[in-house]
Amino acid sequence: MTELLKHNLAPLMFVGLIVGMGVGYPAAFSIAAIGLGFSLVGIELGLIRPDFMGNLTYQLYSVISNDLLLAIPFFTLMGAILERSGLAEDLLEGFGQLFGGLRGGLSYAVIIVGAVLGAITGTVAASVIAMGMIALPVMMKYGYSIRHATGVIAAAGTVTQLVPPSLVLVVLSDQLGKSVGDMYLGAIGPSFIQIGLFCVWVWIVTMIWPEAVPALPPEARTLRGWPLIWKCTKGMVPSLVLIFLVLGTIFMGLATPTEAGAMGVVGAIVLAWMNGRFSWPLMIQGMEVTMRITSMVVFILIGSRIFSLVFQGIGGKEWIEGMLTSLPGGQVGFLIFVNMFVFVLAFFLDFFEIAFIIIPLLAPAAEKLGIDLIWFGVLLGANMQTSFMHPPFGFALFYLRGIAPKEVKSSDIYWGAIPWVGLQLVLCAILILWPKSVTYFIDKPKQDGTKIEIQITPPSFGSGAPSFGTSGGNPFGAPQNSIPAPPPAPIIEPLKQQ
Amino acid sequence: MDPWTYGNGERKINLSDRSPVDLDETPPRRAATGLDMVTVQRERTLVHGFLAVSGAIDRLNRSISRIAVWLVLIASLVSAFNAAFRYSIGTIVSLTDEGRAFPWLQTLLRWYGNNSNSFLEAQWYMFAALVLLGAGHTLKVNEHVRVDLFYGWVSERTRTWIDLFGAAFCLVPMCVVLIYFTWPWFLEAWANNETSQNAGGLVRWPVKLLLPVGFFLVLLQGISEIIKCIAALTTDYVREHAYEKPLQ
Repeated sequence: MTELLKHNLAPLMFVGLIVGMGVGYPAAFSIAAIGLGFSLVGIELGLIRPDFMGNLTYQLYSVISNDLLLAIPFFTLMGAILERSGLAEDLLEGFGQLFGGLRGGLSYAVIIVGAVLGAITGTVAASVIAMGMIALPVMMKYGYSIRHATGVIAAAGTVTQLVPPSLVLVVLSDQLGKSVGDMYLGAIGPSFIQIGLFCVWVWIVTMIWPEAVPALPPEARTLRGWPLIWKCTKGMVPSLVLIFLVLGTIFMGLATPTEAGAMGVVGAIVLAWMNGRFSWPLMIQGMEVTMRITSMVVFILIGSRIFSLVFQGIGGKEWIEGMLTSLPGGQVGFLIFVNMFVFVLAFFLDFFEIAFIIIPLLAPAAEKLGIDLIWFGVLLGANMQTSFMHPPFGFALFYLRGIAPKEVKSSDIYWGAIPWVGLQLVLCAILILWPKSVTYFIDKPKQDGTKIEIQITPPSFGSGAPSFGTSGGNPFGAPQNSIPAPPPAPIIEPLKQQ
Repeated sequence: MDPWTYGNGERKINLSDRSPVDLDETPPRRAATGLDMVTVQRERTLVHGFLAVSGAIDRLNRSISRIAVWLVLIASLVSAFNAAFRYSIGTIVSLTDEGRAFPWLQTLLRWYGNNSNSFLEAQWYMFAALVLLGAGHTLKVNEHVRVDLFYGWVSERTRTWIDLFGAAFCLVPMCVVLIYFTWPWFLEAWANNETSQNAGGLVRWPVKLLLPVGFFLVLLQGISEIIKCIAALTTDYVREHAYEKPLQ
């Protein structure tokens, strides 16, 4: 009996995970409790040593001292501010007027603005809410089909998930132990493919159901010539500045993703203030939301660290690996299985739950099969977009429901989402069959492959005085005032992960 | 049976239709059963007393979470400042004319150089604080995400039972165990006055203290939620932040 239990403890624990989370008590606490409960059984059966649990403290400490996770509050706060900053209005009005004369023009405008907003911020809520508030009433007024309108807005909002700087990719790269910079580079190709797919779909709709996507009548297109150009510029210039501030600094190696997020916060505040939209009550509201989301997310991570620690201790890692690596079809078989698995899970789980609880179980097997983890991560990121779009619990639909006018039925929102979920699955298939689409943008000739070292080289003051990071002494060196040329001092390696 | 049922099983005392705060003003509606007044009175004071404790915990976590809310902004500003200052350092150096002009700028540079590690560490100290100090309040407003496949489908009463058992058998034990593991760690850092390995870094005990404190706040909030669940199951107390099913 004891032997039987000993050999099957890992599967039992996995069942415990499913049951514990399925009951519906907040996942963070239930998985932690399952972890702790099974650790007692494991100690009793002699599978883990009692002092093994002492590692817990270090696990907790590594969660709260993780610089990368700081990106979560920063990107969330930035999104909350941008949502109210008036940027989306300017962009949508400009592009709406620009493309309005075309059939389906407003849909193209929404997709493009979704991509631009996606390149600025990393959170879906911000894009969907900002675009839904402005574009949905306009599209309905000019006779767009409600299903098509809600679908395109929700889908264009979820593009944020994949277009760097995306919070999902930050979290995934933390879980997979890869650099965020590489993950972002890998996501560039898929982002373009996705936006292309969406535009093609709108074009197909204009061919098959032209009455669902009418062109704007001339009297609706009030802006022409210079005012139109000015309107577009007013939207694009701040966007480009913000994109530079966030993405540009990451790609140029000037800032870590975390710092870029913080700069984005400042940029968004400045933009909101310039548009006359800044107010303290709204700001504090944004900060509250950010605090709650961050706390919720980090507690899931704490719970899942406790669970994984025990799960690994009792040999769960080997069990899962054994199962997944023996799937038929090698790499492709594994990827198809994992994608279907994540797609189904995404009906029930939040993406943070998938990233923190499920991905650590899958990653070792992927690595063992020789799968490039960047490719794997971007693929999962693309797949998890669907978790925002599925009826009935998809968050993008939920946000849209919250702001849609009364006459929009929930069933319209759900039916409208389906073709776009299909398009996202097409994207996953493309990524599986054509890995080059991810890896193309990642420079190959790099020392030991896996991580970009962001080297920031502040000048070192005073001869021979070491950098900020070394122990002892005044980093600015001796009192002499001559400043030598900055030596190449790799000081901060912010993306280093264990 | 739940421990709160003494007297006959029919019993449902109606304390108030509203929140516990109103209990003081609202006279108890007389229970229509044949219970003697003494029992009703005793139950009322008991539930009332516990709900008062729960309310006090809620308020405590609310006020502590205000610190966490502000830390969100402060952390962003500090981090943005760190990054911006670091890339503009070259420009500032040339402004000082290779160290011969603007003595105050040089002083600033030197001061920042001495403290840059403190600033970098302050970022994640604040992150830790905003997560751990805010977690209790997050629990109160029911924002810890759940898998609502089953939960969304059952009755409010079953949900209350799930929350009661979850808090009693998941949350409370988890917090107790984590406090048990992290508290000695803080004591050690405190006794040794442990500081960061980086030059000019910060002392470590505050962040190590945050862990047990944060779990203690969550533990308190868990107790408060247990009280509310029991009150909701035994009286007609209505939980304020009850789960809302997504609109269909």
